[in-house]
Amino acid sequence: MPLPRLGHPNLGLGVGLRTVHFPHLLEHQPDVDWFEIISENFMDSRGRPRHVLEQLAERYRIVMHGVSMSIGSTDPLNRDYLRKLKDLADAVHAEWVSDHICWTGVAGRNTHDLLPMPYNEQSLRHVVERVRIVQDLLERPLVLENPSSYVTFAASTMPEWEFVARLAEDADCGLLLDVNNVYVSSINHDFDPVEYLDAIPAERVVQFHLAGHTNLGTHLIDTHDGHVIDPVWELYRHAHQRTGGAATLLEWDAKIPPFPVVHAEVLKARDYMSAALAPSTSLRNDLQLEEATLDHHSSHATVPHPASAIFAEVE
Amino acid sequence: MTESVPPHLDVIQRWLQSVIVHPGGVEAGIESSPAQDEVALTAGRIEEMICRSNSQTSIERLEVYSNAYQARLLEVLIGEYPALVHALGEEVFVGLAGGYLKEHPPRSYTLADLGRSFPEYLAGSRPVNQNEDGSPDWADFLIDLARLERIYSEVFDGPGIEGQSTLQPDDVRGLSPEQWLTARLIPAPCVRLATFCFPVHDYATAIRHQQEPEVPTARPTRLAITRRDYILRRVELGEHEFIVVSALLEGQGIGDALERAVANYPGSVDELASDLKHWFRNWSAAGYFIGLRGLPVSKES
Repeated sequence: MPLPRLGHPNLGLGVGLRTVHFPHLLEHQPDVDWFEIISENFMDSRGRPRHVLEQLAERYRIVMHGVSMSIGSTDPLNRDYLRKLKDLADAVHAEWVSDHICWTGVAGRNTHDLLPMPYNEQSLRHVVERVRIVQDLLERPLVLENPSSYVTFAASTMPEWEFVARLAEDADCGLLLDVNNVYVSSINHDFDPVEYLDAIPAERVVQFHLAGHTNLGTHLIDTHDGHVIDPVWELYRHAHQRTGGAATLLEWDAKIPPFPVVHAEVLKARDYMSAALAPSTSLRNDLQLEEATLDHHSSHATVPHPASAIFAEVE
Repeated sequence: MTESVPPHLDVIQRWLQSVIVHPGGVEAGIESSPAQDEVALTAGRIEEMICRSNSQTSIERLEVYSNAYQARLLEVLIGEYPALVHALGEEVFVGLAGGYLKEHPPRSYTLADLGRSFPEYLAGSRPVNQNEDGSPDWADFLIDLARLERIYSEVFDGPGIEGQSTLQPDDVRGLSPEQWLTARLIPAPCVRLATFCFPVHDYATAIRHQQEPEVPTARPTRLAITRRDYILRRVELGEHEFIVVSALLEGQGIGDALERAVANYPGSVDELASDLKHWFRNWSAAGYFIGLRGLPVSKES
């Protein structure tokens, strides 16, 4: 039986590090439990982004979150990428390294999207084998996140939650449970998010993600561009109860507000760590209510999992 | 009746990718040769691969990925080339960028590489210069802007000299005549020299300051772009200073570089000496060089 969180510490409430917040963080050094970085934005950086990261790493605990490992791809693993990933993890003393249960491209291409897997035995064997290789190369357990998704495959033979649970057990890896992604996919694929959460091996959940999404009426898009909605908070409460708590991080990647707003959003998680406030019987009712009120209240561009790139600043 | 065997994972992945990256959209993607080579399927039979949901058809669901692919990559290019976007207008920029992405699909794990070849793509697909005298035209201006903005990206996040000592005037002043002949200056890795047909640096800076600059008149423009204290800096250089510093950055010996300067310099030797002193001081302050190499071994050592 693995230790809770695979033995990793509960880091508390963290925020995704974004360049627009660099000046605020350097000037004010706010009291934040930890930061998560997008690994690919820093692993090749030899300029200001890396410099700022190293400064912050002296004061704050850092977790690395990648978007290009493509653990599910049938292309060969990119060993050069993995070596750089390990170098960065060593340099910033990363608490752990995470990525997504997905593939980002094949035949040498990177779509820079988190593309879903068909959930079947063949995919499971494939991903388990690759996770083991990656863990050997990184010399640390990999932590994998459930993606939000917009299609399901006829070739799938098991629900996503079974795939995620078996993957974690068979590959002996950790899980980054993105509660918003569970919610988004539950609407898009017509499943019960509570059933999903209840199937996840609680002791393997190393970290939670929270984020805002966009409701397009017929489906939800994981846009990371706003506040966390109440049904997602209620799912978080449920997941927190099941796991006993884990490091929790808010992602805000589009229309990013000032840092105090982002920080305040993740601090709301404290209100949902109490089991007494929301009996699990009401959770399904809340979710059903949200599902019934889907509407078109988004008019801006909706890019799932928005790109996080760093652009030059000129004097 | 035999149950159909689902395609292998690699086939599913190549098929899905072919469908969602097709610039003509999902249905055109399904009918495209790369997709058909993997799974011979018409749009009408798409549910054999992609399930519908209670609210969306299989095609609509695939369109989420198809739309996102183009939108995400265009967003990155728009972020990297703000001055070019302003000059062209976003609609025209998106058209050009779409052509670029078709010819240069992303292959790197990092989005920092996405726009690497955009200036070359623009140069290779430019219309013929219509100016009778061959003077720089609108396309030259756009290509210049793209080249400058790409250099900015590379210098901003590339290797630099922060925390290192740089070459100071005294390091050169103390050289013996013999050392002058063989010594070479070691360039800082972040220094880039480039020539342009237009003063695009002023235009690009104005855009970054949220101004509305006019398109400048063409004039030969020589820039040194570098980074100090993690901040990008660009300086316009005169013709003769550019000749000397180019020679030094190319690795020519100080003596050879000065000979090149003498050959091209219109003024007197005294004026050149005065300019050289001034230039070296500026290069030191800007940190263009980080040391000397090629010095003969001292007889005393």
